[in-house]
Amino acid sequence: MEDSRFKISRRQFLTIAGATAGIAAMGYAFRWFSREPFIENESDIDEDKFTEEFVTTDVLVIGGGMAGLFAAVKAHDAGAKVLIVSKGRLGCSGQTPFAKGFFVFDEKTSPYTLDEYVDAVTRSALGSNNRAYTRQVAMYSKDRAEELKKWGFFDSSLCHKPFLRPIKERGIEVKERVMVTHLIKENGVIAGAAGFSLDEEKIYFFNAKSVILCTGAGGFKPYGFPIRDLTHDGSVMAYEIGARITGKEWNDGHTTQAQNPADCYSSWHGIFENKPSITGVEVHHDLGVELNYIAYVKGGPVSMGEQLSQSDISGGPYVPEEFRRTAPERREVSMGESGPPSDMRPPQDGELGRGGPGMMGEIVGGASAGLAIHKSEGLVPINDRCATDIPGLYAAGDALGSHQSGGIYTQIGSSLAGSAVQGAIAGEEAANYAKQVEVQNISDSTMSSIRKEILAPLSRDSGYSAALTYVEELRDHHVPMLVARDLHELRLAHETKNMIINAEMKLRASLFREESRLSHFRLDFPDMDDENWRVWVNIYKGSDGEMKLEKQPFGYWPNGEPIEG
Amino acid sequence: MVVEQINGCIGCGTCVKVCPTDVFRLDSKSGKAIVKYPEDCQICHLCRLYCPVDAITITPEKSLPVIVSWG
Repeated sequence: MEDSRFKISRRQFLTIAGATAGIAAMGYAFRWFSREPFIENESDIDEDKFTEEFVTTDVLVIGGGMAGLFAAVKAHDAGAKVLIVSKGRLGCSGQTPFAKGFFVFDEKTSPYTLDEYVDAVTRSALGSNNRAYTRQVAMYSKDRAEELKKWGFFDSSLCHKPFLRPIKERGIEVKERVMVTHLIKENGVIAGAAGFSLDEEKIYFFNAKSVILCTGAGGFKPYGFPIRDLTHDGSVMAYEIGARITGKEWNDGHTTQAQNPADCYSSWHGIFENKPSITGVEVHHDLGVELNYIAYVKGGPVSMGEQLSQSDISGGPYVPEEFRRTAPERREVSMGESGPPSDMRPPQDGELGRGGPGMMGEIVGGASAGLAIHKSEGLVPINDRCATDIPGLYAAGDALGSHQSGGIYTQIGSSLAGSAVQGAIAGEEAANYAKQVEVQNISDSTMSSIRKEILAPLSRDSGYSAALTYVEELRDHHVPMLVARDLHELRLAHETKNMIINAEMKLRASLFREESRLSHFRLDFPDMDDENWRVWVNIYKGSDGEMKLEKQPFGYWPNGEPIEG
Repeated sequence: MVVEQINGCIGCGTCVKVCPTDVFRLDSKSGKAIVKYPEDCQICHLCRLYCPVDAITITPEKSLPVIVSWG
C-alpha cells in the first residue's frame, strides 16, 4: 500500500522532532529536512530470525541508573524476586554516570530545619513543588548516601562497579542492553513489559507482578549534554497504557559552547572524571534557562553573547525578591551534578566561555533541548510512595513527575539524591504490592501484536512523504514509516517514536499553560497568573485515543486530598 | 570522526557495553572494537574512561547545529 520510492530517514526525524519542541529552531529543521528527505531501507536482519524469551519475576525494574539501583535493592530486601532491565549498562546510562553531587540534608549542619527547608523550596518554586516529595528527599538523603558510601560510590569516578556490588551481593538478575518498548496491562493492572536485545535478534517478554519505571526523562537528542540515550521511553510507554503524565511544559536550560558544541565532556569541564561528593543545603532560584529565553524572545535558535534586560519585555521569568537578595555568589564551576548549575546565566558582554579542553567560544543555549527540569516531568504520582494511576506500576527518579522542586531546580545534588530516595521507596512499595497479587497472564494476542510493533521498522521497505499540526503530522504519518536496518537503528526508531509523542505532549502542555512561570515562558502570556495557573498540567490518553490535558491544583493529590508535607 | 583512534584494543567489549548511545561494535573479523555509529556519539568519554587498556582517543569536533527548546 506504500508506493513511494523513498522513505524518510530516521535521522531527519530526530532533527525534526527535536526542533519541533524547539519552536525557535523550526527553521533549522526545515533546512535539514530539505537537504536529504528520504532514504532507502535495506534491512540487514531478517524479521523471522527473531526468537522470543519469556521471563517471569515479581518486580521488574526498568532502568539501571541511581533510581533503578535503589529500586532493585529495596525490592529485593523487601522479599521480592527482582529483575533489572536496562537499555545500557548498570550505572553507565542516563544521567547517573555524569551526576557528581549528592544532596544530603543533615539537620546538624543545615542552616534550615527540615520544615524551613521545605518552606524555602516552596517559596523558590512559587508553590509548584510537591511538598511531600520535597520533604522526602531531605528526610532520607542521608540514609541513602550512607549506603552508597558502603558500596564505594564516593570512591570512584565511574559507578558501574559500586552499583554492581549490592546487586551481586543479593544475586539480583540484570539484563543489560535490552530496550523495553512496551508496558503490558491486562485486566486493568500491570502485567509486565516487552522489548528487544541490542546484541542479538531476540524479543523479551517480562511477566511481572509490579513494574518500576526508572527510565529517566529525555530530550530530543540535543548536543552538548549527555542525554542522547534518554528519549522519554518510560513516560511514552506508560501513556500508551493509560497512565497520566505531567510537567511537560517546564524546560531545562543547560548550555554548551559555540565551538564544538557537541562536546559534552569538555563543556562540563571534564568533571565526569571526578568522584561524586556530598552537597549541603543551599536553596537557589537559578533557572538556568536565560539563553533559551533570549533565543525565544529574539527569534533565533542561538543568540551568542546577547543579553536581554528585564525591560525588553514585560513579565518574563519572575524571581521572588528573597532569592534576588540572597542569590549566592556566582562560582566559577558549580556543575555539581546534572542539574542547572548556579552559574547558569547569559554571558556578559564580550565574555568568552569557560570551557574545558577543546571548548572555545561563547556560551550557547539548547544543550538539553526537550528536557524538563529534573523530576518535574514524568508519571503523575497518586501518593507519596511513587505509585501511579495504573495499579502495580511505579516510577522513580526523573521518570516520576514528583515535582520534587517544581518547575525549577532549587538544590544542587537533589536530583541524584531524589532518584536514590524515590527508587528505594518505589522498590519497597512494588515488593509489597507484588506480595498481594497474582501475576497476570499475558495473552498470546497481546504478545503477537507487540512483536509486530517492535519489528515493524525493520520490515518496511518503502515509506514516505510531509508547531502542533506538524507534530500530529509526524505522529500520524511519519512514525508508521520509521525504518531500521539493524538493531541499533531499531532502537533509534523506537526512541524517535517516543520523542515525537513527547514533542506533542510538550507542545500541548506549553500551549495549555496560558501564563509564564519559572522555566515555562510565553510571549503571548508573559506574566504569572496565580488565579488560574497554580496547577500542574497532566496529560493522558482519552478514550478516543486523543491526547487530553487536565489541571491538578498545586498542593493536592489527583484524588483531591491535600498533600501533607 | 569523534573517536579519533582505537589503539591497542584487546577486544574485551567493555566500550560496547558502557556506551550510552550504542556506537561501538566488535568487528566480526578482527574481534576488536570499531566505531560503527559515530553520528550518535555524545562525546561523553565513558568509553575512554572505562577502557581497561586506555586504547581510545577522542576529538571534540562534531559539527551539528544546536537546537533550543522553549515550551
